[in-house]
Amino acid sequence: MLEIEHLYKKYRNSERFSVEDLSLTLEKGEIFGFLGQNGAGKSTTIKCLTGIYPFTSGTIRICGYDISKDPILAKMNMGYVPDNHAVYEKLTGREFVNYTADIYKVNKRNRAERFDKYVEQFKLTHAVDMQIKSYSHGMKQKICVIAALIHNPKLWVLDEPMMGLDHQSMIEILKRMNEHCEEGNTVFFSSHNLDLVAKVCDRAAIIKDGKLQCVIDLKIPENKKTLEEQFVKITSSNDSKSEEDLALEKLVKDKFEDR
Amino acid sequence: MNNIFTLLKLEIKDTGLGNFRVKDYKSWFKLVMYAGVVVAFFFFALFASKIYFSMFKTAGIAYEALIIFFSVVFALLTITGTSGTIKVLYFKSDNEILIRYPLTGNEIFTSKILFLLIRQIITTILILIPFLYGYTQIETVNKAFMYRAPLVVIFMVLITFCLSNVLAIPVMHLTNKIRNKFILIIISLAIIVMALFAGYMMLFNKMVVYMKEQDFSVFDQEIVNKIEMASRYLYPKAFADLLTGEKLYMAYPFLLIPTGVGIALTFLIVETLYFKTLLINVEIEGSAFKRKTRNTVRPVFFTLLNKEFIQVFRSVNYSFQYFVLACAMPGMVFFSNSIVQTLARQQSGERMTFGVTLLVMMVFTTIITSFAATTVSREGHSFYLTKTAPVKIRLQLFAKFTMYFIVSFLANSISLVVIAGAKQMSVNYALITFVIVQLNSISLTLIAMRTDIDKPAFNLVGDGGEIQNNNVNTTRAVTTGMLVSLLLGMLGMIFGAQLKLIILVIFSLTMLGFIYAILRYEINLRKKYYSINN
Repeated sequence: MLEIEHLYKKYRNSERFSVEDLSLTLEKGEIFGFLGQNGAGKSTTIKCLTGIYPFTSGTIRICGYDISKDPILAKMNMGYVPDNHAVYEKLTGREFVNYTADIYKVNKRNRAERFDKYVEQFKLTHAVDMQIKSYSHGMKQKICVIAALIHNPKLWVLDEPMMGLDHQSMIEILKRMNEHCEEGNTVFFSSHNLDLVAKVCDRAAIIKDGKLQCVIDLKIPENKKTLEEQFVKITSSNDSKSEEDLALEKLVKDKFEDR
Repeated sequence: MNNIFTLLKLEIKDTGLGNFRVKDYKSWFKLVMYAGVVVAFFFFALFASKIYFSMFKTAGIAYEALIIFFSVVFALLTITGTSGTIKVLYFKSDNEILIRYPLTGNEIFTSKILFLLIRQIITTILILIPFLYGYTQIETVNKAFMYRAPLVVIFMVLITFCLSNVLAIPVMHLTNKIRNKFILIIISLAIIVMALFAGYMMLFNKMVVYMKEQDFSVFDQEIVNKIEMASRYLYPKAFADLLTGEKLYMAYPFLLIPTGVGIALTFLIVETLYFKTLLINVEIEGSAFKRKTRNTVRPVFFTLLNKEFIQVFRSVNYSFQYFVLACAMPGMVFFSNSIVQTLARQQSGERMTFGVTLLVMMVFTTIITSFAATTVSREGHSFYLTKTAPVKIRLQLFAKFTMYFIVSFLANSISLVVIAGAKQMSVNYALITFVIVQLNSISLTLIAMRTDIDKPAFNLVGDGGEIQNNNVNTTRAVTTGMLVSLLLGMLGMIFGAQLKLIILVIFSLTMLGFIYAILRYEINLRKKYYSINN
């Protein structure tokens, strides 16, 4: 569903690679978590695979389509929820979703069916005909989710989707992620919430300084339990350990020893 | 008190004037530039005031001209004051931040009102001094005129300032009521722009005619009588009376009472309404209109076009620059063309008509097409979203181009009908002018679009991350357009005697520009577009 091979990305005025030799393969029907500290390269990777950023070298294929060579077909199979809930704020929620549906060539019947279903599921019925400008942070996130799902994408990419959402909305999105995968699609999302990733993902990757550190199979119950420990171990290397890192490490160690 | 001055300093810094650094050459350069603009304005205003007052003096109504001048200044200061008060006091984006701090409503209000007062004083002085000085050059005045002039400035500042503060709240509520009635706003603004422009052009015409025939009055007796009659009943007559020492027993109460009442009302507003209104407005800023639409299915191109149109149409700043000016363009072209043609004909007969019309149309078309220089910039954060759409770049950009093209084509076509209909030009020459202007309009649009794609000026703060006003690319687009307009217009005027030949030359230049614009737009377009935000 998603194949990333030896991805390198360096920004124009940067001396170091933001993403370095990253390779990943996502299978059909799985929920994949993408973990890393702030600035590790998660959002850059996502922006490369969604076609927002060009990349230095490597290959990204979505449903077999190369994002560099066949960007239109690759994007057609993908739905994207950005981290900054960027939307066309002058449009109403309905106008925005219809715009997206037109772009992805969704027919009238499917769009009406999905639109009604998601608007109700994410409790946006009262606001859907209001200008997005007036939406709260969470509401903007929800309308982005609806727009990303209106064409029932094979690959659903979400960048920090739970940020600023209330508990109920988080549950709705997680529910939708599960349903989406059960329908044979794939979900790829970045997050800082280790508990959430451990709970919902089939696999998770940890990235540090732009390099992929490991891919963890979370179907194995033991891995779910030790995810937090592994994350801390990987992300706080010895050479850069500060007092805060050491304190955090001790805290996590104590916590797991208690178990 | 410290809080008030800190807030006032912040307010001044926000204008860009408060960042002066003694050791920074850019600061000095900026200061010299500002000083240069002020001096240039002073001399220009002095020159204009001398013509203005002597034009009325020839008709025997110099004093009435002073009353009319005070009336215009009074209206202008009240309008700009009210608009400034609404923007700074009630709708400034920092209000939401400031009310979170441990500051009282009075402290926020006082700092902002001091800022507005300083601005009102500077504006009033800048306008009044050159014109009053100009009046003394035309009319004999006594010594008291000089002593009373500062008093006039003080009264003018205080009365218009207080009036602005009193008017701000009702005007603001009215604005809130119509803020989402976009068609109404666009039509009203187009009418106002056209009316102001027509008034300005008529006065300009009279002044130019007077400059040529200084011994004759440009007003007939009926108009003179009307001006005399009307000026007797205008409130700002009190300023003229005070300045010239006429009916002082009437002038002082007429100025002192409104000043006292205005100050009292302003204080009353602080105590009762300010903080409450501020809170309401912070809420209203986040509110938006509701519009129920159907789930219409559109082809990709039309959905892109529709989105572009809505985005611009529902942003008052952009709508003004774009749709309002496009709506007003035929009227403005007609007025400018008729006046400039009258003057040009008197100088050099029919031969300048083509060049003048071309220049006028090109200038207006430049202003309209400069909007294309925000093609990418105005999307702000949403540009990420645009980039992820499974639509070819060229189609995305073509939708934007189509919107620019439709607007400029309609504005130019209606201008063509107006020009030909008013017989300012023969139909054949009007058509040729239209073709040349339209081709240049396409070229300027493509160049402006590409300039913005090469170096977009995103301003990622504020409403949806979109840019609030024009950016450096717009300035570049306007400069390029004006230079092209001047070049082609001047060629048409200078060599108007050999009309067919010069049309051929101008058309050839236009075609060259057109080819250059297409190449400039096309070469490396995809690469440049993808590298935005990289």
